[in-house]
Amino acid sequence: MSVARTIHFTLNGRKVSTEIEPHHNLVELLQRFDLFGARESCGQGLCGCCTAVVDGQPVSGCLYFAVMVDGKSVTTVEAFDADGALSKVQQAFIDHGAFQCGFCTPGFVLMTHQLLQDKPNPSDDDIRDYLSGNLCRCAAYPEIIAAVKAAARAGR
Amino acid sequence: MTPFELMEPQTLQEAVGLLDPDDASVRPVAGGTALMLMMKAGVFAPTRLVSLQHIGAQHSEIGVSGAGELRIGAMATLSALERNTKAAEAFPVIARMLPRLSNVRVRNVACVGGALAHGDPHMDLPPVLAALGAKVSIVGPKESRDVAVDELYTGYYETVVGRNELIADVIVPAMQSRKAAYLKITARSADDWPALGVAVALHADGNTLRDVRLVASAATAMVMRLTEAEKILNGASADDATLKRAGDAAVAEAPIIGDIRGSVAYKRELLRVGVGRAVRQALSSRPTH
Repeated sequence: MSVARTIHFTLNGRKVSTEIEPHHNLVELLQRFDLFGARESCGQGLCGCCTAVVDGQPVSGCLYFAVMVDGKSVTTVEAFDADGALSKVQQAFIDHGAFQCGFCTPGFVLMTHQLLQDKPNPSDDDIRDYLSGNLCRCAAYPEIIAAVKAAARAGR
Repeated sequence: MTPFELMEPQTLQEAVGLLDPDDASVRPVAGGTALMLMMKAGVFAPTRLVSLQHIGAQHSEIGVSGAGELRIGAMATLSALERNTKAAEAFPVIARMLPRLSNVRVRNVACVGGALAHGDPHMDLPPVLAALGAKVSIVGPKESRDVAVDELYTGYYETVVGRNELIADVIVPAMQSRKAAYLKITARSADDWPALGVAVALHADGNTLRDVRLVASAATAMVMRLTEAEKILNGASADDATLKRAGDAAVAEAPIIGDIRGSVAYKRELLRVGVGRAVRQALSSRPTH
């Protein structure tokens, strides 16, 4: 029997709780909180459109059981402009036109934040390597890499 | 995914007790990345999953002993292993393999024990650990036992781990003066599931190869040692003729499977050349100390 359970976690800095069934994934959980920045696209952890950050580590929301965030802290792309101002990474993506349709952009922005946290001055190889699991079907890759470097220079 | 019952035990023994030796629809789940793929594809619909998340903290330690032996708690994530500098220094072959194993997000969630227990021949960690002579300690309802990683697999997604058993630890013997390499050949992106994996560990005694452990994966139905090819390599020097003969022997002994990453004929040729390349890569690898 599938039984819904109550989970408690921190979502973009706010303590929340909800009931969730075990077969739901993190993307479905976020949708309940009207957060649509993480989108399930490939559904196989390959494309990065469903990226969310759990306890400081990026995960693929489509391959992450929602119940596993119980007691943890979740950050989505919506956290970055919560105070009305874009993050330096977001601004760099706009300045460099690092997207066309924008569907993959939340994942790239989250991954870039994480990359710059680990490596404040990433090389081209570091960027390509870290973002290899994020796909942009508009192929804005050169602009994305330029944006990541600009964000690094701007110091996030 | 279809609904199922989720259990969240607090100890390893409690987890073992919640598994069912006779019911294939009851499974343990660690990070869940591989299992969710199966569930989404509709090839696996569990009635019950036993989550190991709450016992993860007790079973995720990674340590290298003074003698150079690596011990990995089964619930350590792949990225924890990747970031462990001691493990990377002692086992460069593992450190070189991990960045091309899927992507950052999957490595942040997927666990070492799950990667070994899943039995998918396309995974990168099992062939490397098998070549290094690693063993796993498996905990069951009554007792624990050690099993060599190269004896863990019996078929496609089939292992000797019982339905009510769990891998608790992985022990990798010290590299000492061994050299090792993992050749991963992908048909699509560099971090894709491989069309062929070849892992090798050996001693180089001057020009002579000794104690060669050669393991194939992805092109074969299961992770397996290539013992006939090993016989040709052991005691020989790594010249072109020997490596070619070893490649031919590997193709003759390995049951090759075709999939979307390559036909049987294609993978046979990959293996024929892959054996020699892996041995050469191992010989040119940096010493560990």
